[in-house]
Amino acid sequence: MRQFIDTGEDRTPSRPIRDLYYLRVVTTGLSFLLFGLVGTLLGIVVVPLLLVVPGGRSERQSRVRHMIRLAFRALVGFMNQTGAISYRFAGLASLGLRGQLVIANHPSLIDIVLLIAFIPGAACVVKRAAWRNPSMVVAVRAAGYVPNSPTDEMIERAAALLSAGECLIMFPEGTRTVPYQAAHFHRGAASVALRAASAVTPVFVRVRPPHLSKAVPWYRVPAIRPHYSLRVGPDIDPAAYRDRPAPIASRALNEYFKSIYAAWVPTT
Amino acid sequence: MSPHTAGWMRGDQPVQDRDAIFEQLRATLVELFELDPVRITLEAHLYEDLEIDSIDAIDLMERLHRATGRKVGPERFRSVRTVADLVDTVHQLVNQA
Repeated sequence: MRQFIDTGEDRTPSRPIRDLYYLRVVTTGLSFLLFGLVGTLLGIVVVPLLLVVPGGRSERQSRVRHMIRLAFRALVGFMNQTGAISYRFAGLASLGLRGQLVIANHPSLIDIVLLIAFIPGAACVVKRAAWRNPSMVVAVRAAGYVPNSPTDEMIERAAALLSAGECLIMFPEGTRTVPYQAAHFHRGAASVALRAASAVTPVFVRVRPPHLSKAVPWYRVPAIRPHYSLRVGPDIDPAAYRDRPAPIASRALNEYFKSIYAAWVPTT
Repeated sequence: MSPHTAGWMRGDQPVQDRDAIFEQLRATLVELFELDPVRITLEAHLYEDLEIDSIDAIDLMERLHRATGRKVGPERFRSVRTVADLVDTVHQLVNQA
């Protein structure tokens, strides 16, 4: 087997040009296939079984979330073992807390897969397309995930999850960003944080070279194996912003989110 | 009467006239969005002129809800374009049975 052990170093490992290019096209394709297959299997067999096991609504949801987490862990493991990606997630111990809003930048399609795979019990705000995808709709519904939209319904549902003590993942950018371009942060995440988060914890996601980014087809894999580096930043206390009217507070908090990501995002 | 409802309701009676509602709305918009009061005219567009986006609209709906004790449905808010539309909406809201 190839020696592609995560070095643990927070940089793109130096490797020969066109490092197993064709193998990675195949394993990346297989990962998508697995995602669809496992999602469908979860939807038509596993989730229905989990739902008939007795228990309240929140117990059912947490069982489904746990199952999704295991499936995503397996998918991440598959991608790592087959050489499609390597990754490092630093600071996991401070994620998954009560009423915590986890925010992250969104350079790749699979950021959410990594986040869900490693944050126990977390809910997330997911793009609405997941509710129209046959291999995902059953799982996202049963897990109680929130469809993304700039509406009061999304804001209220997301805030209600945090108020109930759940941990919630949101991408303030709303959608994947184009590599090397400054992202636009929507105020939805800041607004949700102000309503109900006990703490906001930023996760900084770096993918080098860019991988599964917007407007690039999945089979156009980078010349060298992409490395995912996820680092947890210090908590932000939303209470510090609650002393002013909501629109002003959400703008200020959103500006703060933007500033910490701008200060971090490497420009090269 | 809570401080929030001051200006929107007289006792249990809603404020009837649009001028009073407009003045009250102007004060609310100035407070919530730190806008220059002269920019708030009846013709001003919320989105284009005052830069009040969909997230702001949610905060504004909540504020109106607290102020009038009546829930502004999002479907009702969707047709609001200008400050004049907003005055009409609030007028209907406080005068509805």
